[in-house]
Amino acid sequence: MPTVSLLLLDALGQALGLFLVASGLALTFGLLGVINLAHGELLLLGAYTLLAAERAGLGFWAGLALAPLLVGLLGLALELLVVRRLRERPLDTLLATWAVALVIRQTIVALFGPAAHTVPPPISGSVELLGVPYPAHRLLVMGLALLVGGLLAWLLLATRLGLAIRGTVADRTLAAASGLAVRRLDATAFALGAALAGLAGAATAPLVSVDPQMGLGFLLPAFLAVLVAPSGGAAGTMLGAGLVGGGESLVAAFASPVVAQLAVLALAVVLLRRVAGRRLRRER
Amino acid sequence: MSREPLLPALLLWTALALLPFAAPAWLLAQLAQYLAYGLLAMSLAYVWGQGGLLSFCQALFFGAGAYAFALAGLGRLPLLPASPGLGLVLAVLVPTALALLLGLLLVGARVATGPAWAVLTLVLGVIAERLAVASPFLGGSNGLAGLPPLALPLPGRTLELLDPLPTYLALLLVAAAVQLGLARAIAAPSGSLLRAVREDPLRAAHLGIDPTRARLRAFTLAAAVAGLGGGLFAAQFGFVAPPLLGLGLSTEVLVWVAVGGRGSPLAALLGAVLVKTVEGLLGEWLGAGWPLALGLLLLLVVLLFPRGIFGGLLARLAGAPDP
Repeated sequence: MPTVSLLLLDALGQALGLFLVASGLALTFGLLGVINLAHGELLLLGAYTLLAAERAGLGFWAGLALAPLLVGLLGLALELLVVRRLRERPLDTLLATWAVALVIRQTIVALFGPAAHTVPPPISGSVELLGVPYPAHRLLVMGLALLVGGLLAWLLLATRLGLAIRGTVADRTLAAASGLAVRRLDATAFALGAALAGLAGAATAPLVSVDPQMGLGFLLPAFLAVLVAPSGGAAGTMLGAGLVGGGESLVAAFASPVVAQLAVLALAVVLLRRVAGRRLRRER
Repeated sequence: MSREPLLPALLLWTALALLPFAAPAWLLAQLAQYLAYGLLAMSLAYVWGQGGLLSFCQALFFGAGAYAFALAGLGRLPLLPASPGLGLVLAVLVPTALALLLGLLLVGARVATGPAWAVLTLVLGVIAERLAVASPFLGGSNGLAGLPPLALPLPGRTLELLDPLPTYLALLLVAAAVQLGLARAIAAPSGSLLRAVREDPLRAAHLGIDPTRARLRAFTLAAAVAGLGGGLFAAQFGFVAPPLLGLGLSTEVLVWVAVGGRGSPLAALLGAVLVKTVEGLLGEWLGAGWPLALGLLLLLVVLLFPRGIFGGLLARLAGAPDP
């Protein structure tokens, strides 16, 4: 029985952690349609911000607060300098953000070295849950993911900014004609998505080995989660993250990690076929 | 670009064919290696520039070709004799079959549009490299070494492709044939259909073109070319390893093609040779800074020269107006 609870807790933790990573993508990609392949590297920057803050003696909580701020600002710069200029060329956005990812990764290698680092969790020890002891920091990350999900849903559904963003997504021309500053909204939403990536990177840093190659390991499942999500909002992303993160975690418990990846890829292809088919039918 | 200009291509191939009279052997060996990479670059330029499928796993087919050549050359395949010549055939057939299978799954799934396609090809590249590392049959992370060289049975004697000169000439012949063949495919009516699908799949479908079929054909043809490049690459090195399949090489080839010019296989080939030459000259000096420079180069080219360095030049030579 304890193994079953552990399995379920792990799957839930994986899904919520993935949601934290994917929430920023849900904003930039799910809503704005900007394919940011540097999202994983923004996350990497969040983790290294935390690392640098700890080294500077600022501690975990200061690092956790600094990471979204710094990465959000960088995201703003990225939008203004690169993404905005490629609006009409979506394939080139892919390529340019892939180049940005390469640049960030190699800058981190130059500054911090290629080796992996570990960050101690702020709260050690474990909590008894469903009859098994579970690491307290994992629970913290899960709670943070739920909080971010709630805030994101509130922002999109209950604020003027959220209404403006949804309006821009629904009909860009009409939104602009109604007096919405669509370009400023683009930049705001992109910076917000980047800040969420920074937060996710800093929050998950104590759970993983922090190394310059970690970005891709987060980017791909997060993108799959957003791709298979039935809608771009917080709830849809949560469902996508649950399918991809929870699914991979459950399969990995019984088979090798490569098999788990293959299984998730197969699941994503099947779901994509369904999503694509449904979208086509809706458009007709 | 709708048509590959013929004259620059012929001039280039003639110049390269005359090069052995002037160049030292080490340079020929180097160029033979770059031409194998050039085959990979041409395959990506075709599927991306003409077909609009920006594939992040093109090296997967290059690596599959290299591994097929290695397995056949070492006689590791059941029921088949150890033969490098057979290996070269398999280096084309295995990636073609693989692309057909993946293509039926992915291209046919109507996901061949920007984001989903990019992410799925990225995932495929990562998984392929991990599978190769985990597979004892493929030699694990050490790969397979000690491959026998290709041998050409000439009248009177067999010529082994070990020395720089015959290797260079063989690669040159293959690369030229592939480039001219792709130029024909681009100029042919089916090439126009492929570009129509790239520009607007829905309108193309209304005109009676099957977008899935056109894309599948481009994807498969590109995989065959990449596999041939991989087989010839393995034949020169006598060694294959998982990085040949992986994201690292797939990213490198993206840079070559973006720098050279995605619209034209010839421009992409020149991009591969140019970037590899610069890497040979500066890579030692820059050390770990080289990937950083490569990233910055890709970013600048995408922002400032979307047609690539040689692509723009060739378009001007062909008299095409700037977009």
